[in-house]
Parts: sequence; C-alpha cells; structure tokens
Amino acid sequence: MTSYYFSIIGTRDNPVYEFEFSSFKNSLAMSTSTSVPGKSQFSASIKEMLPFISNSSLDIIEDAQWTTNLFYLGKIDSFYGLLVNAFITQGNIKFVLCYDVSNGTTQKYDDSSIKQFFIEANDLYVKCLLNPFYSVNDAIVSPDFDLRLKLIAKKYL
Amino acid sequence: MKLYSIYILNKAGGLIYQNNLDPSLNRLTANDYLVLAGTLHGVHAIAAKLTPTIVGKDSTSTTSGTDPTANNALLLSTGKVQNSNTNKTGLGSIETDLFNLYVFQSLTGIKFILITSPNPILQKQHEQASETFRHLYVLYSDYVMKDPFYSLDMPIKSQLFDLKVGELAALV
Amino acid sequence: MSKKGDDIWKNVDKINSELFTLTYGSIVAQLCRDFNHNYHEVNNQLDQMGYNIGIRLIEEFLSRTGAQRCQSFKETVEVITKLGFRVFLNIQPAVENWSSDGRSCSIVLPEPNPLNEFVEIPPTKDLWYCQILCGILRGALQMIQLDVDVNFVKDTLKGDDKTEIRLKLNKILKDEVPAGED
Repeated sequence: MTSYYFSIIGTRDNPVYEFEFSSFKNSLAMSTSTSVPGKSQFSASIKEMLPFISNSSLDIIEDAQWTTNLFYLGKIDSFYGLLVNAFITQGNIKFVLCYDVSNGTTQKYDDSSIKQFFIEANDLYVKCLLNPFYSVNDAIVSPDFDLRLKLIAKKYL
Repeated sequence: MKLYSIYILNKAGGLIYQNNLDPSLNRLTANDYLVLAGTLHGVHAIAAKLTPTIVGKDSTSTTSGTDPTANNALLLSTGKVQNSNTNKTGLGSIETDLFNLYVFQSLTGIKFILITSPNPILQKQHEQASETFRHLYVLYSDYVMKDPFYSLDMPIKSQLFDLKVGELAALV
Repeated sequence: MSKKGDDIWKNVDKINSELFTLTYGSIVAQLCRDFNHNYHEVNNQLDQMGYNIGIRLIEEFLSRTGAQRCQSFKETVEVITKLGFRVFLNIQPAVENWSSDGRSCSIVLPEPNPLNEFVEIPPTKDLWYCQILCGILRGALQMIQLDVDVNFVKDTLKGDDKTEIRLKLNKILKDEVPAGED
C-alpha cells in the first residue's frame, strides 16, 4: 500500500501545510494487516527525512516551471525509492507529493489521479486564501481544510 | 409644467438646498431664502394641526395617497414601488395664477418643495409633481446621502447633484 | 419624463457577490489587525460603521420602495426582512421568538449568508463578524424615530446552529415624528 507525504510550501520556501497518509484504495482488503486505514506506513527513518526530501526538490521545481506552461509538473525527482511529484500554483505556491512505491506494493501508481488530486487541492487552497483572516504564507491550521483535503486524498489516491 | 425652483429642507426646517432652475427668476438674498424656507416649514406644521381629522381619514387626494398599512401591504405583496410621500395632513400644495407650490415629505422628515408654473389642468399637474418628487428623492438618496463627505443636515454643495437635478428639470 | 419600471427587484443595481464578500472580509480583518485583536473594540467599530451606513441607507430604502410608516413593530420587522434584506442583500431572513409584549424578536439569517462565504474566524468567542448589520439596522430605524437595540446572539461562524440577531424596541420617539403625517 502506497504511503504519501503531501506538503504545501510558500513563496519564501516556508512550510505552510503538511499531511501524511496512505492510499485508501483496497483499505478494506488490507484492513486485517494494517491497523488504521489511511495511516501512513513510512518507516521512522524516512519519516524524519520527508520535509527535507520535499524541500530539496524546490530547486528542481523552479527549473521545471519554465519548461512547461502547465501547473502540474509531473514526476520531478526520486529519492531512494520515494517518488516526488509537484504542482505550482499561479501564486508561486508549491504543492509537493512524496510517495513510496517500493514498499511491497502491487498498486500501479497513476499519474492522472495525482494530477486530479493536485487540481482539487489547488481549488481548496484558493478557497482557504479567500478567507479574510488568512494571508499568503501563513500556516494553514483550519480543521475544515484538513477534512476536505483528506476527502480529496481518499477520492483520488 | 415648468419647474421654477426646488428647495430641500432638513427635518428641523433648515434650508439645505435651493436651486433656481429658471434663470429668469429674480434672486433673493441668501437670508431671504432661509426665512422663506423656515416660514414654509412652520406653515406646513400649522396646516397639519388645522386639518379636520374627519376629512383626513378617508380623503384620497392625489398627493396623500392611500393609508400607510394598505400601502405597505401592497408593497410587500406586489414588489412595486409605492409613493413615498408621507405628507398627509400638512401643507400639500398652493395653487395660484402665477405659480404652483408642492410639498413632499419623506418618512425621515426631509422636505422637498417644488415651485412650478401654473397649469389649468390640476389633476395632471399633481401627477407630474408626484413623479418629479419620486425622481428627486432617488437623486437625493444617490448623490447626497451616498456622498461619504456629506454630513447629515448640512447644506448640499454637491455639483454632481446640481447637474442631476438640472437633467431632471429638463425632462419635466 | 421617461418612466422607469416600477418593479423594485428589477431596478436594484447588482454587484458581484464575491467582490462584496471579500471587501467586507478585508475590512473586518484589517480592523482586527489595527486593534491588535481586541475584538470588543472591533465589534464597536463595525457597529459604528454600520450606524453611519444605516442613517444614510434609510433614504435609499424609502426612495426606492416607497414604504410608509408602519403601524406596529411587527409590521416594521416584516418590512425589514421581506423588503430591506431582500433589496440590499438578496436574502430573506426568518423572524422568530416574539416576546409576549411584541417589542422584541429575533431575525434569523438564512444560509448561505452573503457576508460569511469563505470566512473562518479566529478562535475567539468575542468577535461578531457581521456586527455591521446591527449598526445598519439601529441607524436606519433611528432615522424613522424608532429607538431599537440590535445585537447578535448566535453566529454559525462560532459553531452555533444559526445566525440570529435580536431586536428590542425601546421606544418610539413620538416627539420627533415629523408634522404632517397622520
């Protein structure tokens, strides 16, 4: 079962939001072996590396953004079996998704569903930005945002 | 009907706006206009006291319109604009051979006074006056009340309002 | 003179609701920053701003609708909810909880509230985000000689089940009613 680490990084390379989860697909079938559906399966050593992996991909994102006119940049990096996909918003906010495919998974990773996930996450981010009490680069602490993002994750990943 | 002059009085009877729409009119001094306004305000109030109450209840003259409850019920049920003139028992109009004078009062106590040329067909004249008042009140709410630098009950200096009143007078 | 149609709804100028929501949101957020998140002060400022709007907006309301003096407070509240809120915000709140003396009642704003879209307020029990509405009602009613207390008692932004404004008629300023009415 694939585990994911999703982070939003602000215009000053500051962390805005992070979220760890695992694929909800087949979670019923797997429920015997794993405890909580949606709980990430990253090993402890990887877990502490995740923010670094995300941030180390920022240079690549900034190079990649000039090579395409799309906001979805696709798979841009890999790190010891962890793949990194990225999306950049019109406001220069980066969405980074790290996920692990080597962890005994049979599930084929699906680029178009990651793309859909990013697009809907962006819609959600825009709604959050419209809140008058939120300003750009603030950490997102809204429980509502959290919940909705989880629903999107459940739908696509 | 030709508009000679427009006066606007605040709720205390102070003149806050005066516009001679006919350039051929003799001008009074600023003080005389204030006295005139104050006098009209007083006469209007006295007239309200003098009005026989029996007649007042069910008279349906053109300026006073219907009774308030029916008016509001009609407003809510149809969504059509009603006559916002609340001048029921005060001085409503003066009609002479030389000029006619009409008084409109809003619920907030603002008075609009029109001085017009006389017209032998009074019925039509009343309708025109009430239509003019409606437009004038809308202009007042738009160009005076929505001017953030206008303070309530003070003289109206807005050139934009002058311009719009001029346009309205040209249409009458 | 060209006679405009007399249907009130068709003659109301409209603006983009998101522009309106965002403008109001920026005002409230800026006030919160200016007063260092002293939310009581922010409420007061919003109320005062609303009052200044209300004493002017009443003329707009009367000139566009032609409403006449109401004979009871019940009628007043009916005109406010069915006509006032509808003309200016395109919503029609419900009226509930009349007191037995008929001098106080609650206005319940329907969802979605056009002022609240996108908004998540800071974690506080003090801020009444839509307080400006109270000021507007208080100001407008004062201009037609009604002394009314207006305040919020519930707000969905704070997790309440509804957004409720309480109105309480203190007195009718009979001395200030202009001469010439019935």
